[in-house]
Amino acid sequence: MNEGFSIRQVFEGKWTQGAIPLVLLVALLLIIEIAAPGFLTGETLALLFANTAVLFILATGVTFAILLGGIDLSIQAVASLASVMLAQLLPSLGFAAFPVAILSGLAFGLLSGIVHVKLRVPSFVATLATGGVVTGLALWVSNGRAITIEEAGREKTAWINATIFGLPMVVLISALIGIVSFLVLRYTRFGRQAIAVGAGEPAAWAAGINVDRTKIIAFAASGMLAAIAGVVLAARLSSGSPVLANQLLLPAIAAVIVGGTAITGGLGGVARTAVGALIISIVRIGMTFVGVNIFLENMVFGAVLIAAVAITIDRSKIAVIK
Amino acid sequence: MTIQTEPLKSVSDIERTTLMTFLPGRIATMLGGRRWRRLAPLAVLVVLCILITIANPNFIELRNLVRLANSAAVPLTLAMGLTFIILMGSIDLSVEGTLSVAAMVVVLLAANDSNGNDYGWWAVLAAIASGTIMGLISGLVQTMLRIPSFMATLGMWFIGLGLSVYMLGGSAIRLNDASIRDLALHRFLGLPLAVWVAIGAFALAAVIQYYTRLGRHILAIGGDEDVTKLSGVNVTRVRIAAFALAGFFFGIAGVLAAAQLGQSHAVIGDGRLFAAVTAVVVGGTALTGGEGGVVNTLIGVLIVTVLANGMILLGISPYIQQTVQGLMIIAAVALSLDRVRLKIVK
Repeated sequence: MNEGFSIRQVFEGKWTQGAIPLVLLVALLLIIEIAAPGFLTGETLALLFANTAVLFILATGVTFAILLGGIDLSIQAVASLASVMLAQLLPSLGFAAFPVAILSGLAFGLLSGIVHVKLRVPSFVATLATGGVVTGLALWVSNGRAITIEEAGREKTAWINATIFGLPMVVLISALIGIVSFLVLRYTRFGRQAIAVGAGEPAAWAAGINVDRTKIIAFAASGMLAAIAGVVLAARLSSGSPVLANQLLLPAIAAVIVGGTAITGGLGGVARTAVGALIISIVRIGMTFVGVNIFLENMVFGAVLIAAVAITIDRSKIAVIK
Repeated sequence: MTIQTEPLKSVSDIERTTLMTFLPGRIATMLGGRRWRRLAPLAVLVVLCILITIANPNFIELRNLVRLANSAAVPLTLAMGLTFIILMGSIDLSVEGTLSVAAMVVVLLAANDSNGNDYGWWAVLAAIASGTIMGLISGLVQTMLRIPSFMATLGMWFIGLGLSVYMLGGSAIRLNDASIRDLALHRFLGLPLAVWVAIGAFALAAVIQYYTRLGRHILAIGGDEDVTKLSGVNVTRVRIAAFALAGFFFGIAGVLAAAQLGQSHAVIGDGRLFAAVTAVVVGGTALTGGEGGVVNTLIGVLIVTVLANGMILLGISPYIQQTVQGLMIIAAVALSLDRVRLKIVK
């Protein structure tokens, strides 16, 4: 561990780790502005934010799980189920379909958390399993098909697609979620305890923190935010489908890690995730712009994920890397 | 830092194991503890077969059993590779990515309806090689960049998927090579050749696990990596070799999948990771590593396939299958984890 060359030290400095993503984001914005002047205007930026909204909401949820040193691989399934529930229930329940869809996400998040904590199953397997359970349910409920939200239902989802003071509603929703999550992590007892558990579980336990409860709440939050993302996505696309959000798992996790939250836990937060989500979004736009085939997107994100993990991970925390 | 937290960990261990293992631990003890655990998967398989036969006698018809064997071929080959990774206490999430790369390579290099290539069985070799290379890269990334395998392979999953979808141009491409298609269509002793290939893969995996140094070292790493390292085993090299070996099996599975479907497309791998993980875990291989093996996995694959087949025979919606598999993972892991060895579950 003592190979003291300076690049590694720069990367391992705490403030630089927080600053690098931000610098990267600004650099990316400048590059695009130089390549295509007029990018940094209110309208295109509003569009950029609107396109990032769903990704950001999903990523905020996973941030809770990753801050604890865990991972949630069920978010895309939960989001898809929420979209199916919304599309299915809008005609019969009206506006009540929104809370029902979101609460279903909360319920499956709770399930993930309880399975992970009480049965002591590693979180990636617990959430892989609950993700399978949820996907199966979504397929079953929707009979394996995409469900279109009809005219009557679209009236009830119109508010999500509305624009207020020139800002799309989705941007306001995701900003609200971002701010609440930020405040929860920074100023509530749960938030502090979550960071403590991520930073060092034995010490947190010894300090009297209810580690199990903290973890379960975090996974429940992750599930609920995933469901909100699914609902927003369904409203934007006017349809719900059991595979609607499948392409979002990797970008969401990549957004968290690229933003500078370490998968080892305890370091990072929602603000970093916001930066990470914007970076992912800009890279995606940039790739289309430069002419990279859209099918290669997954490849780029996969590579970015590996690189970001390699840089942000705190290796002193893991005795054996499995 | 490490020395200071050590006593802390052990204190929390005792407290937690008494609290946490209460329910599943009690069930396991009630049913006879360790020995029962070892035989449980086999018992589940037998009971499952009997119950399904009672509900629908068509289950034990020869035709259905052949169909069963046929649908078990790809999952079995995949699960053979995954078993070695899980035996080390790691995980390989790149199953679907690697499989789709291999399927893409075999379809594009053999006779197909998209380009003029016709390399015959060289395409199969190339596909298996590409699978092995994907695994090799996973192993190198994991050991050289020193990041946990689930992150390294999560990245490789999407790299593989992106590559294969890109090469296929986002469409489905048919496989026209008759001799490769024969893997699925031609029968030997009543069973499709693909089944024989899968049985061969099982035999190979069994030989590697029980009779080679690599197999022993993989088990040793899963048992206790530090001790293995101290006994002079080159852990890094074994890990890389294990991931490459897993990629090799995924490559074979990719060829079988392409032959069975007669084409390759973007979603050829969908759901395969899930089925493979379920099979390995349900078979009784512990996620903590060092316990279980390819024979367990054979039983696990049969449980998963018999259940899927039975659900269709009983007229249960096939969509609910993933739900059942997910619940099976949770139940199997909860019953089999050796919690005393787990310090912190993340």
